[in-house]
Amino acid sequence: MPGDGVARVPGVSDVVQLFATCLGDLVFPDAVGDAETLLREAGFRVELPSRQVCCGQPAYNAGHHAAARRVARSFAKAFSRSAPIVLPSGSCTTMVTHYLPELLGVEPYDVWELSAFLDSRGVELPRRNEGRTIAYHDSCHMLRELKVSGEPRRLLERSGATLVELPRADLCCGFGGTFSVRQPEISLSMADDKLGGAKGAGAEFLVTADPGCLMHLDGRVRKVGGVPVVHLATALARGVGAAAAEGLAAR
Amino acid sequence: MSGAAKLQQESGSFRVIARGKLNDDRIQGALDLSVSRLRGLRLDAWEQLDDLEELRERAHELRMRVVNDLEGYLAQFTQALEARGGHVHRAATPEEASAIIVRLCQERKATLVAKSKSMATEEIGLNAALEAAGITPVETDLGEYILQLDGTHPVHIIAPAIEKTKEQIAAMFTAIEGREVPAELEALTASARRQLRQVFLDADVGITGCNMAVAETGTITLVTNEGNGRLVSSLPRTHIAVMGLERLVPTLDDLSVILRLLARSATGQRLTSSTTLITGPRRAGELDGPEELHVVVIDNGRTNLLRGRYKEMLACIRCGACLNVCPIFRKTGGAAYGPVYSGPMGAVLVPLYVGLGNAPDLPHASTLCGACTEACPVKIPLHELLLDLRRDMVEEGVAPRWERWAFTAWSFAWSTPLGYRLSTRLARLGQPLGMAAGPGKVWGAGRALPQLARRRYRDRPRG
Repeated sequence: MPGDGVARVPGVSDVVQLFATCLGDLVFPDAVGDAETLLREAGFRVELPSRQVCCGQPAYNAGHHAAARRVARSFAKAFSRSAPIVLPSGSCTTMVTHYLPELLGVEPYDVWELSAFLDSRGVELPRRNEGRTIAYHDSCHMLRELKVSGEPRRLLERSGATLVELPRADLCCGFGGTFSVRQPEISLSMADDKLGGAKGAGAEFLVTADPGCLMHLDGRVRKVGGVPVVHLATALARGVGAAAAEGLAAR
Repeated sequence: MSGAAKLQQESGSFRVIARGKLNDDRIQGALDLSVSRLRGLRLDAWEQLDDLEELRERAHELRMRVVNDLEGYLAQFTQALEARGGHVHRAATPEEASAIIVRLCQERKATLVAKSKSMATEEIGLNAALEAAGITPVETDLGEYILQLDGTHPVHIIAPAIEKTKEQIAAMFTAIEGREVPAELEALTASARRQLRQVFLDADVGITGCNMAVAETGTITLVTNEGNGRLVSSLPRTHIAVMGLERLVPTLDDLSVILRLLARSATGQRLTSSTTLITGPRRAGELDGPEELHVVVIDNGRTNLLRGRYKEMLACIRCGACLNVCPIFRKTGGAAYGPVYSGPMGAVLVPLYVGLGNAPDLPHASTLCGACTEACPVKIPLHELLLDLRRDMVEEGVAPRWERWAFTAWSFAWSTPLGYRLSTRLARLGQPLGMAAGPGKVWGAGRALPQLARRRYRDRPRG
């Protein structure tokens, strides 16, 4: 299991290592910046190890273990074991906690998904989402592999948001890595169900903590319209209203 | 002998069949309604079990005990059943299984066979084999009967006709009976009863499946809700049960563990309306039951699963819980997977039965969301087995060569920070071409393409 579960007092200059992840680094750098902001605001000293690349998950989930191992080794070279590693991505966290150690034959790392880390440290949040109605989309990896579902909701509520639940919140949004292009029609239909559910629930914004789900759902909204989708880190660090104003959420 | 049913669709047709289902609003509505209802019923039933997790662990453990000594338990079962006057036949292939059953029917001059629902008989293509031999099989499970009239295959292992509406069924029954049958549940079941009653009485042979057999006693078990299984196994003079060779539990106590989970997980019932335990044919002094009982034990690829972690799949009790939670099945129904097994259990099972090269779509017919693993009453790690199958596809050369090259090239580039920087810079330059072909084009047909940021996060000035 990730982490040692010990609550630390914010303000003490604990060090955390931030893993931007490839999608974060390349496609959602603002969300990574927002994750860093949240960690700093909570009193942590944030290191961004310079040799980091990717956890290897895209290849691993497609069955290409040799390729995945080659890339995953970059993770082992980049990160130290002296401080917790925090990721703004549920699926990469799952890869690093559940599969990477066995793939590389190494000991488990102290790895945390961002919301689980912030919530476990009892972080206070500015009420940047006061008056906003938000639906949270559970990524499957967070919900079922990491068992992180209460934490992001609690953080959103602490930021002032009114949360509405999606119908069938247990259903996958349809991204699934290469599934999204192997079975595009099913994938899109699943995205439309998710976005339709958010609209039906009366959400102004749909928030998710996984860049994969975000890329898929946001891409769909940018194509056909719908409830704007925002990364959890952005929602907490800027507020969803500011995120929309700054062009970080498409409608 | 007409050939056995193929368990898989042609390569590439998963997407084609899925597209057809997605474009049919009626089927989409029927699928969502059925699987949501079954899922809800299971969750309610599970909630009422205080010892759910303990029960699931026990079920997994006892099923794996059988899987790890299949031949031992089969020998015990065979001995016990034969001591009670039953006969056990082993068949390695679907053709062998059908041939045994056809021969048994012919020796008894049977012309009419009443069947209760059995996926094992679907698997061996039994109806086609019987018909080819001039024997008429009649399905007596309502859903299966409807599909037999329709000439189609089950789309769900426990609810085979969920894609059919009441109106479609009423039209079918009206045509058969020559009188108006209203599209109401009671009228439809009454009509089916009128159509099937004489079949039970006239059938020379009754053929059933076997939900679970008990090694220590030689007992077979039928779990049904319509009572047809009971009629099929008791009215005709000969009863033939078809079972997969892994469908065994060691003892009657163990059976109770499985039964507590099976109906709850399938339909949310504590027990089905009829749970029939049969130990041998009618004995001297008994008033009813068949004169003969034959159990045909089929392999059909099952022993392929005994290597490595795949043997977990042999613990499956065919409850359908994984189908009901699967977001892909909810969109496609069963047909895309093949005519017999579908959903996550089918996606794991079928490639293992028929070989990965013959069913390359199935390991990828999943987002790996893990809902199946969570729903499985006997704790089969279904989505991890799909991951294992994908790995084997690559290692056995089933995955396309271009895919292996692409991932290999990518992995060398991304094995170092320098390669990562150069390759992503190149990708940014090539980004306008991304829509032109390949995965980018497929993605872009329904979604905006993700834009690579002008500056990577690591290259930004940080506080």
